[in-house]
Amino acid sequence: MALSVLGAGAVQLPPETRQLRQEVRDFLDAERAAGTILGRPDSWLTGWDPAFTRRLAERGWVGMALPQKYGGVGRGNLERYVVIEELLAAGAPVSAHWVADRQAGPSILRHGTEEQRRHFLPRIAAGACFFSIGMSERDSGSDLASVQTRAVRTDNGWRLTGTKMWTGGAHVNDYAIVLARTEDSEDRHAGLSQFIVDLRDPHVRTEPIRLLSGEHTFNYCHLEGVELADDALLGRPGDGWQQVTGELALERSGPERFLSTLPLLTALVGQLRRTTCGPEQHARVGRLTARLSSIRQLSLGVAAALEAGRPADVHAALVKDLGTRFEGELVNAVREILPVTARFDATRGTYPELLATAILHSPGYTLRGGTNEILRGIITRGLELSS
Amino acid sequence: MSTESLLERAAAVLAGAQETDARERPAESARTVWDELRAADALPPLDTDPAALVALVCEAGYRGTPAPLGETLLAARPLLAAAGLTVPDGPLTVASGPLDARFTHVDTGSRVGPLGARGTDDALRVSGTLHRVPWARAADAVAVLTEGPSGGPVLLLLEAAECRRAEGTNLAGEPRDDLVLTDVAVPAERVRRVPAALVREAQWRAGLARAALIAGAARRCVELTVAHTTSRVQFGRPLSHFQAVKQEEAKLVEEAALIAAAVEAAAAALADPGTAADPDTAEFAACVAAAQASASVAEITRIAHQLHGAIGFTELSPLHLATTRMWSWRDEDGSEHAWFRRIGRRVVEGGSDRLWPQVTGVGGDPSR
Ligand SMILES: Cc1cc2nc3c(=O)[nH]c(=O)nc-3n(C[C@H](O)[C@H](O)[C@H](O)COP(=O)(O)OP(=O)(O)OC[C@H]3O[C@@H](n4cnc5c(N)ncnc54)[C@H](O)[C@@H]3O)c2cc1C
Repeated sequence: MALSVLGAGAVQLPPETRQLRQEVRDFLDAERAAGTILGRPDSWLTGWDPAFTRRLAERGWVGMALPQKYGGVGRGNLERYVVIEELLAAGAPVSAHWVADRQAGPSILRHGTEEQRRHFLPRIAAGACFFSIGMSERDSGSDLASVQTRAVRTDNGWRLTGTKMWTGGAHVNDYAIVLARTEDSEDRHAGLSQFIVDLRDPHVRTEPIRLLSGEHTFNYCHLEGVELADDALLGRPGDGWQQVTGELALERSGPERFLSTLPLLTALVGQLRRTTCGPEQHARVGRLTARLSSIRQLSLGVAAALEAGRPADVHAALVKDLGTRFEGELVNAVREILPVTARFDATRGTYPELLATAILHSPGYTLRGGTNEILRGIITRGLELSS
Repeated sequence: MSTESLLERAAAVLAGAQETDARERPAESARTVWDELRAADALPPLDTDPAALVALVCEAGYRGTPAPLGETLLAARPLLAAAGLTVPDGPLTVASGPLDARFTHVDTGSRVGPLGARGTDDALRVSGTLHRVPWARAADAVAVLTEGPSGGPVLLLLEAAECRRAEGTNLAGEPRDDLVLTDVAVPAERVRRVPAALVREAQWRAGLARAALIAGAARRCVELTVAHTTSRVQFGRPLSHFQAVKQEEAKLVEEAALIAAAVEAAAAALADPGTAADPDTAEFAACVAAAQASASVAEITRIAHQLHGAIGFTELSPLHLATTRMWSWRDEDGSEHAWFRRIGRRVVEGGSDRLWPQVTGVGGDPSR
């Protein structure tokens, strides 16, 4: 499996994506002109702008791979790829709908009941319903199967108790898909289930955890005996591990895994153009561009595999390790190319402030969505299976 | 005849020639490879899909094939064809550099300007030395780019017998010969004045050929390393069971996959310039592939050797057939630094608005 990645063939984007790409660029130009804040690093983590999301949704660019009967536009994975890579490259504020679009929507489509699909998917595609990921806990990070959150059967549903941690956006989003233990089992991957939890339920309490920059995206999400109706269960009881693995495959496979800091490079090029730029600076910009372009080609291969219904876990792990390391390398290279004092308190959008944001966010790149060390384990397991 | 079956036959020939060490009788080995390709009806015709040629050159890199496949298929042939020169059948190579070139038939009626008198035709007499020409001793002819007597580049086709050779090799023992030309008469039908763009094309084509070779050799490094770490036992377990080994091995695979993707994208852009928005998408993609391939060699060879232990440091393991080549190939036709500068200059000159369009190959044309 992993070896087949060495020579998977170039991905040619379908010609109709050219027009789509241009439409997204035109839309972004208009947004920029209207004063929407663009060009920010890591904007898919912290760029929370529901109004922007709704304008995207009006164009059919949220939940766009969802079938029409559930409010989507039934576009393919490659088209969605083109839209999101344009948004990420532009540093657009997409964090509100990011999780709903990337994983909650597809997961509900795949595992949800007809009622759940009819309820959630049109709202997601309208940019009106935002999701958080309720997987990690204090003692369950890489070892996700060890989660302690429990759901116990009640007369008319389930009672959910436990504390999720690092829950991005739980303070502003509408729902979380929570992984909980529903049965004890010898096999640690058995007995887990997923639930769709209303974050405004009175028994859900979110408590902020500040990032090292002082920003608030993370939360504790205390589930204090949340009474869930039967229809809160997503998929089948006991299938939680398989479902969450599928969700992680979506979470790990996208262009946000190498484009988080691209807006900083874009800003740098703008700065360099106004100064005299020497051969050494050119070379360093060239190094980043070559690596960026190469990683993007590899990443397109993941999108094409997913579109063709082929498994892409190993391929995605490979891109994510390369890509997230690149996100950090870019920040360090940029410091060398044009040394300025990074200042988080400088005017928003100025070069020193963008640099500061990219630096302060840098520990996250190689942790979120599964750490790089864990990803490399997935890659070598793939190698063993293929050899 | 389908391109795929041709590729398969060619790959089979290369597989047969696999263990021939370039250091022993390279000229003969190259001749054998060519004869076998011809016998198997596997020598790609001139109009072969360029993406298939790139794939074949990757295969040559993987096998360490002792023959100038990259030079012939991806550089010499298309350049000669683009300039309207006859393309010889056999193994070819390419060279460029300053030479002393004068008209053979001086037009005595022409005014003598700063560049001297004009010629009545393009026939030239050339002298000088072309340095480290790949596989020169095994090639029937050399496509030479140099400055012509009336200014502006010319492409010449020199026949092997017209040059004296001073033989040399690269780190893998592949021939890198100096060609010494002493007043060689090149008839007009083997000389063409060419646009400056062809000189650039010659550079990026050579870079892409090297990148394809490196991508193939990188795949060999991965295969050999995986085979080694899954079979070699220490502390009672295969090496591949150790976390530290896994971590490094994954990075090796990633780096190899990265350049494979860059090379394939460049091949696709070369094969299909029609779908590319910008005329220079193929050039950008080739520069990226050349840069990334050269740049990744250090990491790939470091990890492959580290995980092999001492045996990889010796001729007992075939690893050196890949790594010694990669250590030379990364610098031939431009090191990563040269390619980085070229890409970076283009990006900075394009400005911040053009960076992403260039990367996506859509809308990156600065003239737009
Ligand atoms: C920015 C950001 C956003 C996030 N958002 C969410 C969210 O919205 N919802 C959510 O549920 N979670 C979220 N997470 C949590 C994330 O999934 C975890 O941080 C991640 O899975 C790692 O878990 P951990 O932090 O507990 O580290 P640990 O698992 O404790 O790992 C610590 C270190 O040990 C290494 N390590 C652990 N096990 C192994 C092993 N077997 N082999 C080799 N090395 C190992 C790790 O690679 C890491 O370097 C987010 C994290 C970040 C950084």
